[in-house]
Amino acid sequence: MTPVPGIARNRRGLSSLPALAGLLLLTLGLSVFLGVADLSVSDIMSVLAGNGSPEAQSIILDIRLPRIVTGGLAGIHFAVAGLILQTITRNPLADPSIMGVSQGATLSVTLFLLFSVFLRDPGTTARITEMPLEWLPAVGMVGGLIAGAAVYALAFRRDLGPLRITLCGIAIGAVLHAIAIGLIAGWGSARIEVLLEWLSGSLYARSWEHALFLAPFTIAGLLALLPIRRALDLLQFEAPVARSFGLPYRQHFSFALFLSCGLAASAVGAVGPIVFVGLIVPHLARALAGAKTQLLLPLTVTLGAITITSGDLIGRLVSQADEIPIGAVTAVCGVPLLIALLRRTP
Amino acid sequence: MLLACSKLTVTYGGRIALKSFDLTLQPGEVRALIGPNGSGKSTALQAMAGLLRPSGGRAVIDGVAVDAIPRRRLARQLAYLPQQPTAPDEMTVAQLVRQGRFAHVGLLRSYSADDEATIGWALESTGLLALADRPLRELSGGERQRAWISAAIAQEARILLLDEPTSFLDIGYQVEIIDLVYRLSRERGVSIVMAIHDLNQAMSVCDRISLLAKGETVFDGDPKDLAETGLIETVFRVRGTFVPIAPNAPPHFDVELAHRQMRDGVLAR
Repeated sequence: MTPVPGIARNRRGLSSLPALAGLLLLTLGLSVFLGVADLSVSDIMSVLAGNGSPEAQSIILDIRLPRIVTGGLAGIHFAVAGLILQTITRNPLADPSIMGVSQGATLSVTLFLLFSVFLRDPGTTARITEMPLEWLPAVGMVGGLIAGAAVYALAFRRDLGPLRITLCGIAIGAVLHAIAIGLIAGWGSARIEVLLEWLSGSLYARSWEHALFLAPFTIAGLLALLPIRRALDLLQFEAPVARSFGLPYRQHFSFALFLSCGLAASAVGAVGPIVFVGLIVPHLARALAGAKTQLLLPLTVTLGAITITSGDLIGRLVSQADEIPIGAVTAVCGVPLLIALLRRTP
Repeated sequence: MLLACSKLTVTYGGRIALKSFDLTLQPGEVRALIGPNGSGKSTALQAMAGLLRPSGGRAVIDGVAVDAIPRRRLARQLAYLPQQPTAPDEMTVAQLVRQGRFAHVGLLRSYSADDEATIGWALESTGLLALADRPLRELSGGERQRAWISAAIAQEARILLLDEPTSFLDIGYQVEIIDLVYRLSRERGVSIVMAIHDLNQAMSVCDRISLLAKGETVFDGDPKDLAETGLIETVFRVRGTFVPIAPNAPPHFDVELAHRQMRDGVLAR
């Protein structure tokens, strides 16, 4: 592509993508075949071929597959949102939580569960099964977006610099989080269980509705990234440099911020705040891509899906029926990984 | 006349950083901006690059105010290189220089053979072809500075604004960059405004020189005339003499150092 002599190709970057795609298929396959319910390989194969016992069909098609798809999509969302935020804020520790997205979603879900009881007959006691769980993804997403918008508005009144955004995000996030925790602490009811499960980031009982909720955002988000690739490259520079290279900085910075908030908020709504994926995956992708920066996005997408799928698989297998929430698995596995990556950085 | 500033005034908070700054730039002209630290050189360059909103006056290119020109169109007219810019760690020289073509390719158009040729030319004229694939963090200060200059000239703008392009470089690289500036102006007709600390380098390369002090322009004219004003000694609070070095060349300023007087005093005793 470049006629400039002396441009060496980075082989590590080129070979890692097919390898990761293979790994993704492997994790997806394992997730279908392994689980708490003990199904034989032949049972599963016949379900996949369109036959099989009703029980096996229900386990594979209604429980495992939607869970895997939802997890994979959410993983892509968190990872890409983290990549965008780390790029445009030039902060290697940025993840969707610096925009207050998770905390906003937490508060809105808390408030929703708290008040939803009043929407029903006052006589009945709200049990978990009667709660409007189908609304949680949308409520969480709206809460996350509102928090992101508040951070943006607060930072926009000043210079909209990366540092300003980060400080506003941390401040707003802390306030929202404190309010949510205060509500939870002073509340104590059956609904807390739903909330805690959602808060820990879980793929338990995720259905096709969740996957269908996420899919449009995944497609729109990834498509929107393609035309702004060069803008993202330029947003890695300080504003005066990006602007003198010809980039209308404010518009593009705002759009990239909006995109990452949308991706993160929709994922948080669907599966709860899964920590560390948005932070770690872009670093892993960067380590693999090396100088081949055009591979960064595909690697981030693939690794995002792998991380959540395999994290969920580990959570399901380690503790069998009392599965460990994916959020806990990513946090426990994420910390050593982060330390290892930090040791590599010069 | 390509670029003109008239009564350009910039204030930060309540402090006036640049006051009624006037400048005209002809095609192919090299203009040096000199002055003590904090005299407004960088502010003047940033205002000319449309990066600061002036509180008074304006900078115009072909009659249009720079801050009214869309960024990408402006970037095809004018390239600006700040002091000590930073780039992402893993970015290579060639990738940095490619960014200079954004003004031409935009978000979507693919790089044409012309674009690639320009990138090659920019790398070559800064002597960086061999280093094209090296990450910027592995380069020396001089090589990194040349990579940034290479990106700025890949923009192929008619106007190049450089903020202390030779600071922190050893004398060898300083001369290389001064020579490159001269070649760009004479061979490609690029107009250059450059803030620079080395007075003698400024005088030797520029066609016109502006001396700033506390945001005000105290001299604007031919470098040879500056020698006769005595302004250098008062503005920079030094003592020294201008020494002729060659016919038709601006003289060199030879600064008097305090310890030299001291040493002479000791010897005389």
